[in-house]
Amino acid sequence: MNNSNHTSSILQVEGLNVYYGSQHAVRNVSFDVRPGEIFGLLGPNGAGKTSTLSAVEGLIKPNAGSIHVAGFSVREQPLHARANMGVQLQATSFQSELTISEIIKLYAGIYGVALTKEKIDSILAGIKLQDAANKRYGQLSGGQQQRVSLVIATIHEPQLLLMDEPTTGLDPQSRRQLWERIEAMREKGHGILLTTHSMEEAEAVCDRIAIIDHGKIIAIDTPQALIDGHRTNPEVIRASRKGKITLEDVFIGLTGTDIRQ
Amino acid sequence: MTTAIPSTATVYTHLLRADLTTLWRNRRASILVVLVPTIILISWKGLVEKFGGAFVLSNCITVGLTAIGLMGYSNMIARDRDKGIFQRLRVAPASNWTIMASRLTVQLLMILIMTLVIFIVGYKFDGISISAGGYIGGLLIAIVGGAVYLSLGQVIVGLIKNPETVNVTTRLVYFAFIMIGMFGELGVLGKEIGEAVKWSPYGTVKHIVSAALIPSTWNEHSWMALLVTLGYTIVFAFWGIRWFRWNTR
Repeated sequence: MNNSNHTSSILQVEGLNVYYGSQHAVRNVSFDVRPGEIFGLLGPNGAGKTSTLSAVEGLIKPNAGSIHVAGFSVREQPLHARANMGVQLQATSFQSELTISEIIKLYAGIYGVALTKEKIDSILAGIKLQDAANKRYGQLSGGQQQRVSLVIATIHEPQLLLMDEPTTGLDPQSRRQLWERIEAMREKGHGILLTTHSMEEAEAVCDRIAIIDHGKIIAIDTPQALIDGHRTNPEVIRASRKGKITLEDVFIGLTGTDIRQ
Repeated sequence: MTTAIPSTATVYTHLLRADLTTLWRNRRASILVVLVPTIILISWKGLVEKFGGAFVLSNCITVGLTAIGLMGYSNMIARDRDKGIFQRLRVAPASNWTIMASRLTVQLLMILIMTLVIFIVGYKFDGISISAGGYIGGLLIAIVGGAVYLSLGQVIVGLIKNPETVNVTTRLVYFAFIMIGMFGELGVLGKEIGEAVKWSPYGTVKHIVSAALIPSTWNEHSWMALLVTLGYTIVFAFWGIRWFRWNTR
């Protein structure tokens, strides 16, 4: 494991520990996310991904460790830390009585961003939802909801973007569009931390990946370095099905073949 | 790309605007909350002469306060928590208390609207007329009384996570409060229950509202009822906040 003290990091997580009662959900996790980087947090169900992300978002209080977003401690300066991050939750929901433009206006206001009607219209046109300004969130398709959710997460141009399984439930077109948007944000220098179950997507878009299992980071590196570093691991070779080693093989080799609850 | 945090007032204003819009779009539910005490008020016209206008008005206002706190507030909180709306707000730079303050402000507005409707309907249909000081006092004490039921609603959403169960529980508690409160006070359920009702959240709130409507009747018992009401509010709010969880997981 490397890099827990990278000075130019947008997100620094050090020695993170989270307990739920007697269950040790996150064990001494350390990593960082740098500007212009897509960092993938991969792991089986219940491995500690969402708990780690929730701690970064400030939704749960870690039992030990420190988290800094853009230099602000999530625990000591939560509002400053949150002002510098955009979040797309796994199951995002907005007030069902509000229209899309009202929801955008609400969150823009909370982030201190002034938006005119023309600006909102242009934002909606940018995500091909110009006709949906007066629709309710629940009236949109899954892909459209995801686009609105991403717009709201990035409305204040945050330094750090957190995405919890952003492509779940999306059709291939919506997924492709989403990745294009995420990659465009990387080009603009945003740091992106995401969790996903799609190894192919992670291999294709992530600059670095951490594999987490039983609450611990068991590997962290670039996708290619992870593949190269575990090419001769017998468990990884056993997991390989296509003749060549993929990130999925490395993942299965390191985390096992058992289905998690 | 440094982001400044907006002021608490800015965040509160935007949250309040959204919550008021939500209230307006849900006006059918709000009308129902006001409708029950209004129907009771109209149907109790015959009791005005026997028990006095303040008695009838205070009972109806107390029923309305119960409905707002138990059915309006707690169901809304349970639903938004279950949908993940609070979690989404909490990952933005909005403090927990700002989110809740906005919600409570909307409920306080509902209390004022309901009380005004009761005053107007009482005047128009039942011919109940009280002094200007009585109307003002009634409005102010309705807010104090409403706080009991808002905090009781907070206890319910603190104890129960499932929104369906919250809905059923609040309806049951609401029904129990109205039935035992109104009939107990009228002496229909016996002397012991009548005495217990007097110091229950229903009885104390009803008493202080009634006394506030005719300020000259405010006496030692009213002060005691006010203290007990504040005591209920503090206890319910303490446990309601302590038990409350922002998510249902």
